[in-house]
Amino acid sequence: MSVRVQRFPSAPPSAALAARVVAIVLALLVAGIILAGTGASPLKLAGQVIKATFGSSFGLEDVGLLVTPLILTGLSVAVAQRIGAWNIGGEGQFYAGAFAATGVALFIPGPSIVMLPLMFVAGAIGGALWILIPTLARAYADVNELITTLLLNFVATLLVYWVATGPWLDPGGQALATTARLPHDIPEFWGIVHWGFPLAVVITILVAAVLAFTRWGYEVRIAGSNPQAAKYAGMPFRRHLILVMLLSGAIAGIAGMFEVAGTVHRLQGGISNNFGYLGIMVAVLARGSALGVLAGAALMGIILNSGIILQTQGLNVSTVLAITGLILFFTAIGDELAHYRIIRTEPAKA
Amino acid sequence: MTASAATPATMEIAPGTPPLVLLKGICKYFPGVIANKDVDLDVMPGEIHALLGENGAGKSTLMNILTGIYQPDAGEIIIDGYARTFASPVEAIASGIGMVHQHFKLVKAFTVAENIHLGWDETPKRISAQALEARTADLAKALNLAVRPQARVGDLSTGEQQRVEILRVLTRNARVLILDEPTAVLTPAEAHELFKALKEFVSRGNAVIFISHKLDEVLEISDRITVLRGGRKVTTELTKDCSQKMLARLMVGHDIVLSNLRARGPNAAPVSTAPVMRLRSVSARNGDGNTVLKGISLDIHAGEILGIAGVAGNGQKELSQVLTGMRPAASGEIVVGGKDFSGAGAAEFAAFGVGHIPEDRLYSGLAPALSVTDNAVIREYMKPPVSAGRFFRPRAAIGLARQIAEAASVMVPDFGMPVRNLSGGNQQRLVARREMRIADKVLIAAYPSRGLDVGAINTMMRYFVELRDLGVGVILISEELEELLNLSDRIAVMFHGEIMGIAETGSASIEDIGLMMGGQRGGFAAASTAEA
Repeated sequence: MSVRVQRFPSAPPSAALAARVVAIVLALLVAGIILAGTGASPLKLAGQVIKATFGSSFGLEDVGLLVTPLILTGLSVAVAQRIGAWNIGGEGQFYAGAFAATGVALFIPGPSIVMLPLMFVAGAIGGALWILIPTLARAYADVNELITTLLLNFVATLLVYWVATGPWLDPGGQALATTARLPHDIPEFWGIVHWGFPLAVVITILVAAVLAFTRWGYEVRIAGSNPQAAKYAGMPFRRHLILVMLLSGAIAGIAGMFEVAGTVHRLQGGISNNFGYLGIMVAVLARGSALGVLAGAALMGIILNSGIILQTQGLNVSTVLAITGLILFFTAIGDELAHYRIIRTEPAKA
Repeated sequence: MTASAATPATMEIAPGTPPLVLLKGICKYFPGVIANKDVDLDVMPGEIHALLGENGAGKSTLMNILTGIYQPDAGEIIIDGYARTFASPVEAIASGIGMVHQHFKLVKAFTVAENIHLGWDETPKRISAQALEARTADLAKALNLAVRPQARVGDLSTGEQQRVEILRVLTRNARVLILDEPTAVLTPAEAHELFKALKEFVSRGNAVIFISHKLDEVLEISDRITVLRGGRKVTTELTKDCSQKMLARLMVGHDIVLSNLRARGPNAAPVSTAPVMRLRSVSARNGDGNTVLKGISLDIHAGEILGIAGVAGNGQKELSQVLTGMRPAASGEIVVGGKDFSGAGAAEFAAFGVGHIPEDRLYSGLAPALSVTDNAVIREYMKPPVSAGRFFRPRAAIGLARQIAEAASVMVPDFGMPVRNLSGGNQQRLVARREMRIADKVLIAAYPSRGLDVGAINTMMRYFVELRDLGVGVILISEELEELLNLSDRIAVMFHGEIMGIAETGSASIEDIGLMMGGQRGGFAAASTAEA
């Protein structure tokens, strides 16, 4: 009997899950050791985090507020991946969605029951418009969308800073650097968690179902995996690319609308909280699966919330980011290692 | 085969000279697969040693072990009398073992001179482009391989690129040159050039290991032949003691009839009088705007196999794309089953009963990363049972995939696994069966036997005969003349985007077809236009 380690092309789901769990535990262990080295007490901190997060409904509500935008920005990236595109511009589309929804809310009068759906549509259109130029550039001129979507993030960020401190600055003068409070709130669903949370879950399930159970979803799958095969089968690759990328932008825009109308209630600079970029990590954790986005967003939400708690315990924000990084780092290694299995071979004759 | 080719193995080698390469009891296991088991191989100085075997016989694994890409699970590698272990290809090259892979490892945007000197510790640290080219010219001259040092690799023909690759290996002082399917990408003339260079190389006391599954060329070029089957060595024979029939039997383990398949059974559909597909003065351009098809006129009748011969790169790829709607014709008329298809797209051709086995299945015929199921249903996903209206039904898709895999006799352990995990032969059988299901009028098969072994080629040919006998018009694009002569009723020869002539297989001579492949217009051209 000789024992060898062999890489397999696909990892069984049980091994993939086990690798994930081990990776997270190891990352926390490493973080704990380093924290202990700086004089903190990792066990006490961990206790605080667990108690503050899961010990009361307030903690879970906080997580829910963080998870809502993460689900959508993660879904946005995962959807674009289906057609083989990297939408790094979730951040910008998030801002554009929040901006459009705010504009509608502030300048069009009407009852909330009409205005909230209108803001939802405005958010989606805002996000879609923000990815329109990168989409057309990719579809017709083969310009790499990774760079164009990324660069437009900075434009959107600065645009929102400008309107929030300039033309749309709260005339009441109460708050600096934000718009007036929006007249319409997304109603609450559970504690402080608004209805955006269940809606985000429903949107994710809907998108996953459309991708899995429609002819269109099948064509997107083929076209995203091998554009040449789509051409061979006579599928309209360009049309699918444009539609899927716009959908990706719209989903990120909806995340922005939820955030401004459900959580923050005012448009201000920095409202995105990096949710757009964190969505990329959520999609990577979800391994491109639309439903996996829910689990990825939940994990990321818990990490973010833990970070906030740790900051109240005197850890600085860089430490928290480093722990997040460690978890992703170990997860990536774990995902790769899940492909390996130990096998036994019969004795080799020399 | 010449007499001289069979003898140099025994040329002035002093008794007791150790083999240049000696492999003893090599074993290599992959999960569930024995890639190599107890393989012995000896290669003498001055010898061209052919390694013959079907796909999956273990040829590539064995050579990957010899070149340090894999480490053997058991066994010894002895080079020039000394036992060696190679942890990486770099160490193998340092010991004088170089390999030219099927897919060249050259930088297309660099010149020949730059490619030769890339990653080589003998390259001077600072050198002008002219000096680099001069150095390359000297090396090429010393090693007797004609290359153009200043040319960009991307502009070279495949044959020239291969020569650059060989030169690159030889400049590293390789004494053993391993070539993996070197002629698969070459024209007959280029192959001839290659053989000359190889003979010259071994005459200086070096050795060549020549991996192939083309029996005729193995018989032509090699001194000895080792046959592998199922990861084990079957035998090593002197080439002069071998025949094609015997080698085919050794390779597959039983007799294979590679013979005239043109004869029709009593139940076969007759050749139709009206063509099922007609091309009239069809021209097409490639992506760069160059006209690559010029005034092609062809008739394909139901129940016949029309062969398209020619050296690869003379417009065959574009022709297959025009015939399937993947590439629009710039001018001319395409009629399928009496309907004008001149402006139609790929989906319309497929829906009307035109199947297509593309030139490079992994490039366009399949989505390699997607599941076997997704790939199997790519032609029928839009109709019941796989689709109901706008909806896609995964279960029905698996059912259809299972049906296609069964017809193709491909064992699929898991229909959700990526199709790239199947072997090349199984992928091709799956594609062929998938296309046969929709091809009730015409099937276009471009190089269907490329990269396949004798057994799989045989299966592929029987598929075409089956379709022909059902009354389908089959267009077979191939560079294997023997295959075309065995199978097709008529053979059209392409050269520089034009049809040089169309020959009835029964009355055509190989010489005539060869001349047309070289650009001479055949006496049959008149007949083909008269038909129009």
